[in-house]
Amino acid sequence: MVVLGNLLQRLAASIGYSGQMPRYYGPQIRGGASAVKLSLDTGQASVPADTADIMICFNWEKYIELEQELPLGKDSVLFYEDAPPKEGIVLPEKSFQVGFSEISKELIGKASSKNMVALGLLERILALPESLSRGTEIEDEASALLGKNRPALDAGRRLLLESAFSELRLSPPQNPSPKVVLDGNSAVARGAIRVGCRAFFGYPITPASEIMEEMQERLSQGDGVFLQAEDEIAAIGMALGASLTGAKSMTATTGPGIDLMTEMIGLASSVEVPVVIVDVQRGGPATGIPSKLEQSDINHAIYGGHGDAPRVVLAAYDLEGCYRLLIESFNISEYYQTPVILLSDQRLGQTTVATGRSMLEADYAIVERKRPGGEHREQYRRYEKTDDYISPMASAGDEGTIYQLTGLAHNEKGRPSFDFANNQRMHEKRCQKLAPLRDRDDLVKVFGKEQARKGIVTFGSSAEFVLETIESLGLQDEIKVCIPELIHPLSRRLSGFVNSLEELLVVEMSYSAQLHHYLRSQIDLPTNTASYARAGGLAFSRKELSGPITKLAG
Amino acid sequence: MTEESNYRTDVTPIWCPGCGGFSLLSSLTKTVLPNLGIPNHRTLVVSGIGCSSRIPGYVDTYGFNSLHGRAVVIAQGAKLANPDLTVLAIGGDGDFFSIGAGHLPHAVRRNVNITCVMVNNFVYALTKGQTSPTTPYLQRGEGPFLSLKYYPPVDPILDMVSYSVSTRASFIAQGIATDPSHLAWLLEEAIKHKGFSFVSVLAPCVTFNPPGLFKTIRERATYLKEGEPVELPASWTEQPWLHDSSNITLALKLAQSPVAEKPHIGIIFRGRSA
Repeated sequence: MVVLGNLLQRLAASIGYSGQMPRYYGPQIRGGASAVKLSLDTGQASVPADTADIMICFNWEKYIELEQELPLGKDSVLFYEDAPPKEGIVLPEKSFQVGFSEISKELIGKASSKNMVALGLLERILALPESLSRGTEIEDEASALLGKNRPALDAGRRLLLESAFSELRLSPPQNPSPKVVLDGNSAVARGAIRVGCRAFFGYPITPASEIMEEMQERLSQGDGVFLQAEDEIAAIGMALGASLTGAKSMTATTGPGIDLMTEMIGLASSVEVPVVIVDVQRGGPATGIPSKLEQSDINHAIYGGHGDAPRVVLAAYDLEGCYRLLIESFNISEYYQTPVILLSDQRLGQTTVATGRSMLEADYAIVERKRPGGEHREQYRRYEKTDDYISPMASAGDEGTIYQLTGLAHNEKGRPSFDFANNQRMHEKRCQKLAPLRDRDDLVKVFGKEQARKGIVTFGSSAEFVLETIESLGLQDEIKVCIPELIHPLSRRLSGFVNSLEELLVVEMSYSAQLHHYLRSQIDLPTNTASYARAGGLAFSRKELSGPITKLAG
Repeated sequence: MTEESNYRTDVTPIWCPGCGGFSLLSSLTKTVLPNLGIPNHRTLVVSGIGCSSRIPGYVDTYGFNSLHGRAVVIAQGAKLANPDLTVLAIGGDGDFFSIGAGHLPHAVRRNVNITCVMVNNFVYALTKGQTSPTTPYLQRGEGPFLSLKYYPPVDPILDMVSYSVSTRASFIAQGIATDPSHLAWLLEEAIKHKGFSFVSVLAPCVTFNPPGLFKTIRERATYLKEGEPVELPASWTEQPWLHDSSNITLALKLAQSPVAEKPHIGIIFRGRSA
């Protein structure tokens, strides 16, 4: 089913259609329930509708496992293979039983081409040109299937159905130039290569492993370093070691991995060594729901660890952000010499998006860490006091700037020091150097009319659902939305947004409303502040968010 | 030859007078680094947490006194990113054999060209005398190894030699703090070895070792010499064989002798350089 969605998305993207395709799967190792939901847009890629216009179901038993996430609409056009179970499934009016497996068996003796039969059927219903799948270049296993399964595709196209489904024909795309298709995890990896990351250390974990796999492939082609470590502690430890020598270094993980990395994050903050950590959040706590989204790592990202260990936390809310903010994470980490945690989540990480190439081709400033110049060679002091609290950092291997780092409280030379006044100064240095980030207005996105006095603060993958729900309710003029990409330190633009409101709604996917409480700790929120927060496992829908958003508007 | 003073910082060690750490420090700064002629700036010493892990502050090379147990991972990351660096990971028995033990077999199998130096003083000293994974196992009240202050360990020790031989480290040696010039030679050989090298340094903790522990270790210690008969524990009936550090089977046999009964000092195994 994933292959079917993948091919349809890529074929449509090749003639200009955009769209999003979230993946749904359970805890199986292989062969369990899996599904995709695909939007095909003539303009900007949109979050797929709550209920599908067209649904294809090969297996009702597996469908039921994912039904909460993929409800059938009464107007959905359904193609299904076997008779549905007697209870529980209400077939929509336009439902058609199609022997996908039967046709595949007739053609090749086994049922494995049933998804190609379905693809042929969809191509015809959507009025995609027949030449499309014929002309596809073979890039990987999935596209190779198109060439090998011509008869199945043709059989799907020729299926005699009682309706022409002319209402489902796609309108021409606004811009027919081919779209690029990638998911958030891949965007993170590509951003890392773009910004010059030379060292990646990781440990497999759902739903972040794809970042590691892509970095392995990409770094092995150049002079980069890739290593799959024995655990997440080793992964971030190696990244710190590599960063010490001047290499831009990173790791990627999810909640349980962040737990293990916590001590090293504190160390990196204390010794001021740059490192980027991507957290593709999943359902927690403990093992939680590894294959589903949640947004409950904010507390840990901002505060995780003992002592006061300042760090920077960013959060992407769309595909473009996964790419751009990974570059930004390195820029901030290298410039400010501090660990940066980039929050993504399962939904962002594993949803493939067909979109314009501009995000990959745009110009991005690349910032390098400040290094000691000739004037430092005489008596290099690693943590020298400077006006902006940022001290030039030598790389291990540089001549004339030898120093020793320690996780102990240390003085300007990096030597252990238990002097109270020095300790206070060093805390101030590590904290105050990040202050200019509060003015990074570009890392806070605001939508809607400035004069609106009702607003929503949300972040991560919830943000697109909020924006689309407001649009579908036609409330763009009444409700404005603020999506902070810079979570910590808190930006002035976000405070300004909140201060301009009479009514605030905070939308997030965390049972304990971590974003809401973080905002409350930093800003005087309006008296009329509401929180819409719940546990993860199921993406928001327009229907669900219509409730709290309508209430805010009312 | 470079002067020793070129390899020492002006920081005074926190160690107790007579600590085994001084022996390692002087071996490194007076002999090993000058002899090998490695420029200070091309050397990185990474340590964990513990008495011996304070050493980076005293050696005038790049250094990192990092987290308990994690020296070997930081060292690998640095070496992979800058192969021109000579990288040493230094720590104690608590670092490498307790909290960070999970990292060792992976460092061994990757065979990254770093040198890991475990200063084994048989005790947690920085935290004031608790048992470590190498504190000898004896019944309460028995023998010379029992501290008067603490309960004795109830579990057998993790033995450096048997551990590293069984994980097939490509260079395994054991030195003793009371012979710094021999220790220096071992460290030079370890650093020159291309691949992961593991050196155990048997060291006294003058403050927390029970009286007699290190004295016994030192008295029982014998040197391994290529082509000469190995000395075996007194309780063994087996005939001694001629030491051959290139022979892993013989190294596995050597590894059967408990460190407290027969500490072997020298190069235990030296595999092919990577």
